[in-house]
Amino acid sequence: MIVAENVEKRFGDVAVLKRVNLKVEPGEVVTILGASGSGKSTLIRCINGLEALSGGKITVDGHDVSTKAGLVAARRASATVFQLFNLYPHMTALGNITLAPIEVLKLPKAEAEARGRALLDKVGLGAHADAYPQQLSGGQRQRVGICRALAMQPRYLLLDEVTSALDPEMTGDVLRILAELAADGTTMVFVTHEIEFARHISNRIVFLEQGELIVDLPTAEFFAEDGGLAVPRIRQFLSKMKKD
Amino acid sequence: MRYADFTPYDIILLLQGLGVTLALFVGTTLIGLALGLALAVVHHYRIPGCRPVIVLVTEALKNSPVLVQLFLVFFGIPAFLHIRMTPVEAATLTISLNTAAFAFVVFRSGIESIDRDQIEAAQVFGLNRSQILRFVIAPQAAAFSVGPLIGILVNQLQVTSLISVIGVFDLTKIGNILNLRTLQPFIVWAVIGLIYYLAAKTLAHVGGCLEAALRKSVKWGGI
Ligand SMILES: Nc1ncnc2c1ncn2[C@@H]1O[C@H](COP(=O)(O)OP(=O)(O)OP(=O)(O)O)[C@@H](O)[C@H]1O
Ligand SMILES: [Mg+2]
Repeated sequence: MIVAENVEKRFGDVAVLKRVNLKVEPGEVVTILGASGSGKSTLIRCINGLEALSGGKITVDGHDVSTKAGLVAARRASATVFQLFNLYPHMTALGNITLAPIEVLKLPKAEAEARGRALLDKVGLGAHADAYPQQLSGGQRQRVGICRALAMQPRYLLLDEVTSALDPEMTGDVLRILAELAADGTTMVFVTHEIEFARHISNRIVFLEQGELIVDLPTAEFFAEDGGLAVPRIRQFLSKMKKD
Repeated sequence: MRYADFTPYDIILLLQGLGVTLALFVGTTLIGLALGLALAVVHHYRIPGCRPVIVLVTEALKNSPVLVQLFLVFFGIPAFLHIRMTPVEAATLTISLNTAAFAFVVFRSGIESIDRDQIEAAQVFGLNRSQILRFVIAPQAAAFSVGPLIGILVNQLQVTSLISVIGVFDLTKIGNILNLRTLQPFIVWAVIGLIYYLAAKTLAHVGGCLEAALRKSVKWGGI
């Protein structure tokens, strides 16, 4: 379970996260919605330890990310897929996927590669194992990014706007893969602007408003007239998203 | 006898001088690159208090004449610390430090040329600092650095000629000796210049091949 308790994050004097509380149980898909600048990426970056907390506490399966040993264990339990892919440009698709399994999980190279190839096959990139990132399209790169995360066999997948750098067709490819993962019971914390998709795959939706987590509801309730839609800010946000 | 003609033995003299020049060059290059790399790594990790010192010292080394540095090391340090220093020791120390200062700048920008994004990815996947350095930063920084480093080393090869001034028997010093004996400065210095030229060209060529090989093995379209 991922637990965030009263999480605060300030950059200088600017409070970006204010007393945020969030729980993600194994098997859940939780989507984080919110306007640009509301702190969604920052929350993800606090969970995976890329940002130090200014206050509060985050644990992943009980491991406190603000301690050194806790962070190591927390990072073993989760894996991140990035908006801009963040692949290693000097390594092939397969090299990108197998680096951490070999170096961190200490898997034998052959086993890591077999696992990597199986994942690439699953996302339709079996023929591209030896391609370098710059030889792949954006959608293909992101699928490599997803494989790289899955190769760690994480208990939690953290996804921050993984399709927003992609054109609609490629977005479809990536979302299909994520839907399959969700159907398989993969636990996900998902930041997205794809509202319809979020509605389709999420168990719960939380809404961030200027660093405050103002709503945390099961998906159906979030989209119900007397649930999330009763909150003016959310209604406004959703109608603006529909127009775009 | 006021002067003498060239003799076949002079070829051996020239080769000896070239040998001293190359040995000093290779030695100071190895020390300089290792030291420059170490400084860049220390700089990268922001070890407390180290950054300003490294920047100050390397700036001083890059922006003052090598000849002055050589005099400081050969005459100044022994006088100040009451130690003895041979010309070869002083030359090795000075050129190594000088090469290190230039190499530091190249390695530093090589490291800084790498996207923060990739390093963050490596961090969240659980790689530790030294693994990130080894698998993510080093290969890319090496491909980035090798070209500029070759340029610096070709220049440092010429710079070694300064050490003749403090009495190291390098190629330039041999030129001096031959010149005084034969009183044929045009021929002597043309030959000496040609030997430096050939050595530098060879170095640049070997470096170019190395760079091509490195870029191929680190195949990327990034730069
Ligand atoms: N390293 C940083 N230094 C200073 N301010 C930052 C930093 N990172 C983020 N911020 C600020 O924190 C706020 C929240 O940023 P964040 O990236 O978390 O928003 P977001 O909800 O992910 O937005 P978007 O939908 O545009 O990605 C923004 O105002 C941003 O300018
Ligand atoms: Mg964001």
